[in-house]
Amino acid sequence: MTPAATTFHTPHPVAQRRSTTESPLVRRLLIGVALAFLSVFLLVPLVAVFSQAFAKGIGFYFHTLSDPNAWSAIKLTLYAAAIAVPLNCVFGVAAAWAIAKFDFRGKNVLLTLIDLPFSVSPVISGLIYVLVFGAQGWLGHYRDAEQPWLPWLQNWLNEHNFKIIFAVPGIVLATIFVTFPFVARELIPLMQAQGRSEEEAARVLGASGWQTFWRVTLPNIKWGLLYGVILCNARAMGEFGAVSVVSGKIRGETNTIPLHIEALYDDLNIAGAFAVASLLAFLALITLALKTWVEYQHARQNQTKMFP
Amino acid sequence: MSVEVKNVTKKFGSFTALDNVSLKVESGELVALLGPSGSGKTTLLRTIAGLEFPDPGTAQILFYGEDVTQIPASERKAGFAFQHYALFRHLSVFENIAFGLRVRPKTTRPPEAEIRARVDKLLKLIQLEPMAGRFPSQLSGGQRQRVALARALAVEPKVLLLDEPFGALDAKVRKELRRWLRQLHDEIHITTLFVTHDQEEALEVSDRVAILRAGKIEQIGTPEEIYDNPASPFVYDFLGNVNLFSGRMKDGAVVIGETEFSLGEGTGETDTAAVAFVRPHDIRVTRQANGPALAALVLRSNAAGPVANLELKRLDSGEIFNVQLSKEQFQELAPKAGEPVFVELKNVRVFSDDYSI
Amino acid sequence: MAIKLSRSKKIRVLPGFKLTLGFTLFYLGLIVLIPLAAVFWKTSSLTWAEFWHTITMPQALASYRLTFGASLLAALVNAFFGLIVAWVLVRYEFFGKKIVDALVDLPFALPTAVAGITLAMLYSQNGWIGQLLEPLGIKVANTRLGVFVALTFIGLPFIVRTVQPVLEDLDPELEEAAASLGANRWQIFWRVILPMLMPALLTGFALAFARALGEYGSVIFIAGNIPMKTVITPLLIMGELDMFDYAKATALAVVMLVASFVMLLAINVLQWWTNRYNTHNLA
Repeated sequence: MTPAATTFHTPHPVAQRRSTTESPLVRRLLIGVALAFLSVFLLVPLVAVFSQAFAKGIGFYFHTLSDPNAWSAIKLTLYAAAIAVPLNCVFGVAAAWAIAKFDFRGKNVLLTLIDLPFSVSPVISGLIYVLVFGAQGWLGHYRDAEQPWLPWLQNWLNEHNFKIIFAVPGIVLATIFVTFPFVARELIPLMQAQGRSEEEAARVLGASGWQTFWRVTLPNIKWGLLYGVILCNARAMGEFGAVSVVSGKIRGETNTIPLHIEALYDDLNIAGAFAVASLLAFLALITLALKTWVEYQHARQNQTKMFP
Repeated sequence: MSVEVKNVTKKFGSFTALDNVSLKVESGELVALLGPSGSGKTTLLRTIAGLEFPDPGTAQILFYGEDVTQIPASERKAGFAFQHYALFRHLSVFENIAFGLRVRPKTTRPPEAEIRARVDKLLKLIQLEPMAGRFPSQLSGGQRQRVALARALAVEPKVLLLDEPFGALDAKVRKELRRWLRQLHDEIHITTLFVTHDQEEALEVSDRVAILRAGKIEQIGTPEEIYDNPASPFVYDFLGNVNLFSGRMKDGAVVIGETEFSLGEGTGETDTAAVAFVRPHDIRVTRQANGPALAALVLRSNAAGPVANLELKRLDSGEIFNVQLSKEQFQELAPKAGEPVFVELKNVRVFSDDYSI
Repeated sequence: MAIKLSRSKKIRVLPGFKLTLGFTLFYLGLIVLIPLAAVFWKTSSLTWAEFWHTITMPQALASYRLTFGASLLAALVNAFFGLIVAWVLVRYEFFGKKIVDALVDLPFALPTAVAGITLAMLYSQNGWIGQLLEPLGIKVANTRLGVFVALTFIGLPFIVRTVQPVLEDLDPELEEAAASLGANRWQIFWRVILPMLMPALLTGFALAFARALGEYGSVIFIAGNIPMKTVITPLLIMGELDMFDYAKATALAVVMLVASFVMLLAINVLQWWTNRYNTHNLA
C-alpha cells in the first residue's frame, strides 16, 4: 500500500522478471565496475599514504614528526585554521541570515559572488594577495610612495617592517579566501528551506532578535553549521596552492603542513613526506567520519520532525 | 472472463497485504476496488499490472484465459494510471502519450504517421488537443490525470488499471472527472479496475464494487447489492453513516432496551448479544409512539443542506445516534433541542458473532 | 520609534537585516572582491600587445591545451564512472556500502598535496600501480596521462554527489509507468531515467571540469613539469611568480579567471535548468 512497501525484497527470489530492476548479472557487473573504479582511485591511494608513512619504521615516523620544522609547520597550520574558520563561520551565519530571512534585489548576484572563491584556481587565490600586499603590489607602492596618504601609517609600516606576503598574515589571508564559502553555502540552502515562520513566531511571542537567533535559528541549523565548519577546517588545514604562493616557504617559519610535505618530498625524503602527509590523511578520515555522522544526525532530526 | 485472479497472497516482511485473494472480472466491466488504506487494494491492482508479484504458491493471474502470473509489467499489456500520474516531466503531452508506442520493438512499432494519428485521436478523446505541445508541469491536476489515462490507453491495453484516479484532485474536478470516466468507459468498453477509498465514488461510477479489508475481499457485488445487503458490519460501516444499537437476539427479532424490533426473517438464535445497524435515513422520528419505538431526546438539529440531520440521545441508555430527515419531514416535525421524541427503526440489520442477516 | 518604522519602506518582523547584509558585503569586498580586482588592475600595467604576447606564448598555449584537454577528459571519465557509482550506491545493497559512500568524498577531504605525492608515488615506475603498467608500455608519472589521473581523482566526487540525490528522489512510479507501457529495462533507463538525470549529470560534469581547470597541488607532483609537455597553466603562473614577473603571471591568471567565470555561469544556468523541472512539481 505505502510507497515504502515497494522497496521490500521478496523473501524468496524466484524467477520473476521485474521491469523495474536489473538482472542479477547486470547488478553484479555494475557493483563490480563501481568498486573497481573506487578502489583504484580512492582506496589504493589511501592505503598507500599510511603504508609509506611507516615504510621506514615507527621510530623514523616519530622522529620526522618531532622535527622542529615539522612542529613549526603544525603550529602554523593550526594557527591559520584557528583564525580562518571562526571568521568564515561568523560570515557564513551572517550571510545566510541576510539571504534566507529577507528579500532584496541582487540576491542571486550575491550568491554567485559568495561562491566565487571556489571557482578561482588556488594559485590565483594566492596571486591576488601578492598583487595587493606584495612589494610590487598596492601595499608596496604605498610604502614607497613619495607623498603618501596618511604619512604616519607609512612610517609605522616601514619602521616595523610590517610584512604580509611571505609572512604569516598572508598565509592566514589566503586560507580565509579559499575557505570563504564553505559555511555560507551549507547554511544558505538550509535556512532558505526552513523559511521564516519559526523566527517570526518567536518574535510575535516577544523574543528579542538575539533570543530568536540563539533559541530558534541556531538549534535548527546546528548540524548544517557543524557540517560547514568541518569542511571549512579540512580545507583550511590542507590548502596548498594558494598558501604556497604567499608563504615564501621559509622552513620553520612560513611553512604549513602541506608546504612542509612538499619540502620533504623535494629533498627526496619520501618516507618523511608521507609521515607528515599521514597526519593530514588522518585528518581527512576524521573529517569523513564526522561528516557521515553529522549527515546521519541531520537525517534523524529531520525524520523525528516529520513523524513526531 | 477478462481478468481472473486466483489465490493471490502477498506479504511485505511480516505484513500481509493480500491474503489468498480471488477475483473475476467480466469483459468490459468497470470494477472498483474499495477499502481503507492498508486494505491491500493498491497491492492487488499492482499485482494485476505485474508491478508486484504474488508470493510463490498456487497464485495465478489470467488475462482472457492466458496465464500472465510470471510475465513482467512491460510485457503484460495492462494499462496502468498512477495516483500521482507519473507523467514524464521531460516529455510533452504528445510524447507522453506516444511513449508506449515508441518503445515497441521495430517489428511491431507502428509507423510514425500512425503513431501521430493515434495520439491525435486520444488527445481528442481526452479533450486536450490544444495542449499537445505542453509539458506536464503546465497542466492542471485534472488535465494531468486525463493525459495519464490517454497514455495508458495508447498501447491498446487488454485491461485498464487505475490507482486512485481522482485521489489527488479537489472535490469539484473529482466529480467532473468521475462522470467523464464513466462516459469514456461507456464509449470504449475496456475492462477497467480502479482503486479508491471513497465509497461514493465507487458506488457512483462502477458496475461492481469489491470491498477489501486486511488483504481480503470482504464482499463483491453491484453497488445496489452492496449498499442494500452489506455482508458484514465492516461493509455496512464503510459504505456510509450508520448507527449502532447494542441489544439481544430474540426469536427473529432484536431487543434494544425494552423494545423489540422485527428482523423480518425467522431465525433460531435466541438470547445472544447482538449489535443492530440502522442507517440514519432509516429512522423515523415521531412525537407519539405507534408501534415499537425508542424514546429519545433531541440534542441538536442542523437543516443546512439538502437534508436535515438530527442528533438524538436514547433516554434509556444515553447512547447518541444520528437521524437524517428530508427537508419536508423536518419542517413538519420541527423538533426543538431538549424535546423528547420517539424513534422507529426500519431496515434493522444484526450481526452477531456467528450470525448475520 | 513608530515614526522611524513607518518611514522605512518595509517594516521587517525579523531584525538584523542591515547588520548581517552590511557585514556580508563588507567581508566579501575585503576578502574577495578587492583582491580579485587587483588582478585587473595589474593587467592594466601591460599594453594590449604585451598582454596578448604573454597569453599566446607557446608555453602558454601548450599549457592551455594540456589543462583544458586533461580536465575535459577527466570530467568525461568521471561522468561515466560517477553515474555508475551513484547508481550502485542508490539502487543496490552490498557489503560495506556505507563506507564506500563516505569514501567517495575523500578527494574533497584529502589535501591536494597529500593526493599529489601519493599519486606520484603510486604511478612512478616502481610504484604499486606504475610497476603493473610498466610492462604494458604505459607510463603515467611525468606524462600527460599523469595529469589526467590526478584530475580524475580530484573530480570524482562531483558527479556522484550531484547525481545521487536526484536519483534518490526519482519517483519509482515513473519507471513503473514506463514498464507498464511496454518499455524494457534499457529503454526505461535510456528514455526516462537518463533524461531526468541529465541536468544533474551536466552540472556535476561542469563542476568537475571547473575544479580540474584550476587544480594545482595534486597535479604538480605526478606531472613532472616538463616544459611544453606536462606544465599546466597554474604551474606556469607559479613559475612566473617565482621569477617575480607579476605582470606575466597576472596576464595568465586573467585567462584562467575568464575561463572560471564562464564555467561558473554555465553551472548557474545548468542549475537553473535542473530546478526547472522541480519548481512546478508541487502542483
